[in-house]
Amino acid sequence: MAVIKYVARRLVLMVGIIFVISVGAFYLIHLLPGDPATVILGGGDTPQARAALYKQLGLNRGIVIQYFVWLNHVLHGNLGTSFITNESVVSTIKNAFPIDVEMIILSQILAFAFAIPLAMRSAQKPNGRLDKTASAGSFTLLSIPPFIIIVFLVLIVAVKLKIPNTGPASYVSIGQDWVVNLESMVLPAVTLAIGSFVLYYRILRSDLISTLQEEFITLARSKGISRRRIMWRHAFRPSSVALVGTAGVNIGGLIAGGFVVQFLLQIPGLGFTLIDAINLSDYLLVQGIVLVISVSVVLINFLFDFLITIIDPRIARD
Amino acid sequence: MSDNAPLLSVKNLATTFETARGEVPAVGGVTFDLLADETIGIVGESGSGKTVLARSIMGLQPRTNVRVEGSVQLDGTEIVGASEAELRKIWAVDVAMIFQDPMTSLNPLIRIGKQIDETLRLRLGLNKSDAKKRAIELLDLVGIPSANERYMAYPAQLSGGMRQRVVIAIALACSPKLLLADEPTTGLDVTIQAQILNLLDQLKSDLHMSMVLVTHDLGVVATRTDRIIVMYAGRIVETGTTKEVFAQHRMPYTEALLASTPKVSDASHTRLNAIPGRPPDLLKLAKGCSFAPRCQYATERCHNERPELESSGSPSHLFACWNPLPLPTNRTASSAGSEA
Amino acid sequence: MTNLANDFGVAEPELLDRPEKRGRLGILFWVCVAWLGINIFGAIFANVLPLPNPLANNYSAINFGPSLHHLLGTDELGRDIFSRIVYGSRISVSVGFGAMLIGFGVGAPLGMLAAYRRGLFDQIVTTLMYVFLAFPAIIAVIAVLSFWTPRSLLKIILVIGIASIPLVYRVIRAATLSMGSRDFVIAAKVQGATDRRIIFRELLPNIAPVGISFLLIGIATVVTLEGALAFLGLSINPPQPSWGNMINESRTLLSQNIWIAIFPALALCLFLLSLNYIGDRLRSYFDVSEVKL
Repeated sequence: MAVIKYVARRLVLMVGIIFVISVGAFYLIHLLPGDPATVILGGGDTPQARAALYKQLGLNRGIVIQYFVWLNHVLHGNLGTSFITNESVVSTIKNAFPIDVEMIILSQILAFAFAIPLAMRSAQKPNGRLDKTASAGSFTLLSIPPFIIIVFLVLIVAVKLKIPNTGPASYVSIGQDWVVNLESMVLPAVTLAIGSFVLYYRILRSDLISTLQEEFITLARSKGISRRRIMWRHAFRPSSVALVGTAGVNIGGLIAGGFVVQFLLQIPGLGFTLIDAINLSDYLLVQGIVLVISVSVVLINFLFDFLITIIDPRIARD
Repeated sequence: MSDNAPLLSVKNLATTFETARGEVPAVGGVTFDLLADETIGIVGESGSGKTVLARSIMGLQPRTNVRVEGSVQLDGTEIVGASEAELRKIWAVDVAMIFQDPMTSLNPLIRIGKQIDETLRLRLGLNKSDAKKRAIELLDLVGIPSANERYMAYPAQLSGGMRQRVVIAIALACSPKLLLADEPTTGLDVTIQAQILNLLDQLKSDLHMSMVLVTHDLGVVATRTDRIIVMYAGRIVETGTTKEVFAQHRMPYTEALLASTPKVSDASHTRLNAIPGRPPDLLKLAKGCSFAPRCQYATERCHNERPELESSGSPSHLFACWNPLPLPTNRTASSAGSEA
Repeated sequence: MTNLANDFGVAEPELLDRPEKRGRLGILFWVCVAWLGINIFGAIFANVLPLPNPLANNYSAINFGPSLHHLLGTDELGRDIFSRIVYGSRISVSVGFGAMLIGFGVGAPLGMLAAYRRGLFDQIVTTLMYVFLAFPAIIAVIAVLSFWTPRSLLKIILVIGIASIPLVYRVIRAATLSMGSRDFVIAAKVQGATDRRIIFRELLPNIAPVGISFLLIGIATVVTLEGALAFLGLSINPPQPSWGNMINESRTLLSQNIWIAIFPALALCLFLLSLNYIGDRLRSYFDVSEVKL
């Protein structure tokens, strides 16, 4: 019951946030210096194109009406047609989006696969050799931004070691050749995984250490069950709430980290497309991508919030 | 084992915490025996080391920054210095502990039935359905109504008293020979306290267990123990049969402890006799008797020399005091501070 | 009764597991402080220091390795890398401190006031801030900067600064809330101290440790963000050097001259490492839990 109420409250908040996002994304156009239509149309400023743009954005009306005209189009899945590429914004996004999803999923699998076991071992002997090494290492990694990591990974793996399909412009879609696709995803996934790994390791380690001091862990020990079982069955779940919360928030950062990686390796995901669109002054496409990414991030946050209440139903009661 | 060999034999048990501020001798050389079927009460103020003692007997102390010395033999098995792997074999099966605070000692995210099951399945090798059946029996045994449904409950759905019954059920799961009850009722309402204690008493005799009952409340041990150990600053200051400690105590600390326990026979609005002063800082223990700074009978010698446990005549009754109280027959005649 | 129940052995393990709690800050801490000082000094006095012009091309000294003449070598146009790094630090330092000045300037007073006053004001501001907090800030910054052209340092500072307000607000509000119910604050209230006095004399000094360590970590985050923007070509435009755009420019030349990438990357990482380390040490020194930040 408490869970339902909690989820309902979150849902209302989420709708509110999406509303704010839509207003923000809508208003972006008006940040352009001078007449937005002139800037957006750029070189393709023909009377027909101008008329189409006015229809799409309702530019000749009051700003409030404009918003609703725009919103109505958005809700019908119409984000306009780029005046630079003459492609529909929605179809461009549809092509790019799965690449980001693949990248993020791969990176998260890697990050969790390393962070969880390492945090478990670290927490069993706080200030032990392993813990000290891992903590110092993760702290150093914390200070290396993804764009530096990817530059040096490319330098070492693709340029110096000459491992095929890892360098810039080697991306191939998964339908075309899934092996090459995975190979080209290695460096992006590793780069994004490093940042997440550091975050997850540190959070889980510190929560595990405090959980292990709980009385219920001593009671579990007194049952004479194995250390392994105490860690996984008794300590892990109560310690994973902050971990899951962090993972949810981290997704936003991952998408942004993805920009950098895609930009360098020319992987045609949303980030690459976005930067490309910014450089080409393809503002409708920029607006569409910003809207889609923002809403996705909010939806993911909501999903993770819900996940937390499943892990620890007590959260919903507070 | 022969019949009269003790089930539990504790010799010179000392537990020292190595803290950033220095070494803390939480338990400083404790010796006692416990026979099969016997119940012993360990009494003392907060900070007297009784909980640390109970955990050291069980070998449950954390391994880093804690030093446990001396010997604890449980049914012939040495516990001090044993590895956790060795201890796992005796935990739950030979010795089990009832924890102090039922609010924190159950895993909040695991159904209580599963928490009982775990011991049965992993330690006794019961299969899933047998374990469940047995767990429900245990819940029934410790007096939890509609045990069948409660099996699926989470700790948060139970009251404190009910949770403590679950903790007891977990401890009883493998029918241990020795039960260490560490302040089993402090976290509970007064009305529930008596219920839990009576339950323990009854289970103990039904299942033929020995029990160590740790408490700060002399009222708890008065009717439920065979013998009593009074602890102060990590040491035994007086021990004897329950009757001896209550009726013929010689150590002024025991007297003070007894005097600070309210009695039903007291007139209403009787002032409680709180023990003046505070328990000593274990980091800066005086070289003499630890209780001397708070003792109204203390002399020069008490501050400079530590008294050892001595017999008072009865072989079971020992106390550590330079100026023991006179025996009850001439107690009324003597005044404070007189030589025994 | 409950007091007595708190027996020695229960409370103790916590104390035991942190032998270094409240120890000294350590030598590494002061090394980091010194490094940070050098960076800030270099950023402020770059044009006074005897440095070669960071924009001057020298085609007779292209892609030189480190030498006495060019401390960290030269880039593909023969520009002195050391000089470019020192000048580049101006961007990172001013964006880092400038944006946090805005974030703390608005977020901190609001957070303190909301937590101190509670009531409707707190509810409204907090809800609002949480709405913005759920907004993916990095994407918002990129979006605004791509539309709000032409880009300038001031606009970048402003946008990142505003985006950081909700984060600062949340941290400071939480810290104030945990202080507000402490005995010394209640005591001051009971004694009839004015709100002003309580806020400035009682609360502020106690929130300061949390604030300072969050400030340092916040600066590190902002500097990273600016670096990423520069890397993507959304920050200060070349030839004006910044650490991020230097790394960006280097990526096509990596196989010829690795120094162009290594030195700015090192400068940025060491700067971030110092900030993070100082922030982290202060946090554990003042015993602020990680969760709060």
